Amino acid sequence: MPLDLHSVSAQVHAMGDDLRAHSAGRLDLLEKAVELFKASGSATRFSPASPPNDYRALATDGSHIDVDRHMPVPCALINISKVMLQYGSAPGVRLGSQPRLYATAEELSVGTQADQESQPLTGALMGLRRTVEEVTALAELAEEHADTLLTLGLIDGSLILWSPEFHSYPEHVRRSLLDDGFLPALDRLKAVAERKRLTVAAYISMPRSTTVVNMLPLQEHTQGDYRWMVDRDVFERTLAVGERSGTFPSTSAYVREHYREHATHFYYLKTEQEMARVEVPAWVAEDEALLALTHSLLLDQCRKGLGYPVAIMEAHEQAVIGGHERELFRQMVEEALARQGLDVYTSEKARSKRLRWV
Amino acid sequence: MNTIANTTNYTTRLGEVVETSSAAFTVQCYDLYGAPALGALVRTGRDSPVYGVVRNVVTSSMDPGRRPVARGQDEADEEAVYRSNPQLDKLLRTDFQATIVGYPDSVGTGMRYGLPSQPPRIHAFVHACAPPEVRAFAEDLRFLPLVLAGAAPEADEVVAAFLRQAASAHDDSQAFLMKAGRQIARLLSRDLQRLNAILGSLRA
Repeated sequence: MPLDLHSVSAQVHAMGDDLRAHSAGRLDLLEKAVELFKASGSATRFSPASPPNDYRALATDGSHIDVDRHMPVPCALINISKVMLQYGSAPGVRLGSQPRLYATAEELSVGTQADQESQPLTGALMGLRRTVEEVTALAELAEEHADTLLTLGLIDGSLILWSPEFHSYPEHVRRSLLDDGFLPALDRLKAVAERKRLTVAAYISMPRSTTVVNMLPLQEHTQGDYRWMVDRDVFERTLAVGERSGTFPSTSAYVREHYREHATHFYYLKTEQEMARVEVPAWVAEDEALLALTHSLLLDQCRKGLGYPVAIMEAHEQAVIGGHERELFRQMVEEALARQGLDVYTSEKARSKRLRWV
Repeated sequence: MNTIANTTNYTTRLGEVVETSSAAFTVQCYDLYGAPALGALVRTGRDSPVYGVVRNVVTSSMDPGRRPVARGQDEADEEAVYRSNPQLDKLLRTDFQATIVGYPDSVGTGMRYGLPSQPPRIHAFVHACAPPEVRAFAEDLRFLPLVLAGAAPEADEVVAAFLRQAASAHDDSQAFLMKAGRQIARLLSRDLQRLNAILGSLRA
């Protein structure tokens, strides 16, 4: 039977009632938080400069098909997109994506070393590898377009290589992702920025971070439960449309220890449509001109993208692997095995999902 | 009579066949808004060319799941919308459909009007025909019923547009139009309303 929407609707209504009952008390807590934030001296605000007429936006994104244990062989696919949009006197565009199959034992593991146990590339680790590939592709893109034109390199999501499972992986696996992938890609971006007019930012829509809220002495001043509060709530009340907050360093000890000159900093940006969190590496955060450029160019990208940076949106569109394509990939794998005279053994569970007998 | 061989130098490549059937084919243009005019004569294929008359031009989103949205409220003019959104060039596509009207005879010197034994292939290159080729093709108008078979009044507009373009490819365009008018009068002798509509459109 399909989803019982009747039952869902009743529960959603109840959720709405519950939220309203809580909102009054929350407003008081929020006002206290805003007051404390203003008193902290960190509540600086910056207006945007007007964006340059001529500039270029670069963005990459990825999508993947994870190793599926119901498939006849272990293999995975990562599709990485590259997008270049050029504005001003010589408008131009480049859209594309490059898929890569991961099939050998070496490709399907992370942190392979003589005396260390490697980790299978699947699940959250696959997502981390994809992030590494996305940033590497952005570095390639920046090198391919390293000329005199002002360029903004954009990453969708965080500049911190992280997932909830990240710290459960052995240290050599984490270091392998960082030292052999993520940080070298950021090194390449920085090298381009040293020679050409490149700035780099990561854009997080609807951020749930609490870094700034956690810095406020709320516990000393209130009795209420404020664990629901996120940074966005505070900045919604302190920034005007178009403004950005001051820049804060990431509080992660792991970032401080390992990210070198790429240590993540962030600011909040109030676009016409939403409150976004923008992350930049230290070398951008410390250069006022590069930092201000991320601000004005991101606002322009959001305006052109009707609320969301257009280059990131197009990168997503180029990278996404649809349901039909996933099915075609599975068929392709099965056919390739059959052509080689290899046994195509698919799990009965996967088969029953496809056939859906009545 | 002009032959294919001595008229092809004047042509430009517009796009490729992406849908094909015995009576018509659809072409995806290489350039956004790069379709020839309604009623234009186009040629497809190299080894066994087929002629078509453009009967419909469509510009739409490349991805059927992504609809275009209004973007120009704050822009000074329409061109600025495209300058501010360079990705549109790659996300929109222009297609056109052509009614098949003839093909060169096996010797390559004359024209066969009507449907070929096989339609053009998918990915066949499609060229715009230059005036000498249009003139050569329009020497005989017995293919017109194939175009007129389409739904009126659009089909009548396509015929009139073809004849106007063919006329301008002739030195004596008036004489060509007189000849064409007589031929259409014979074809549509039982449908005076359509005949008047086409003749009226030709005079316009």
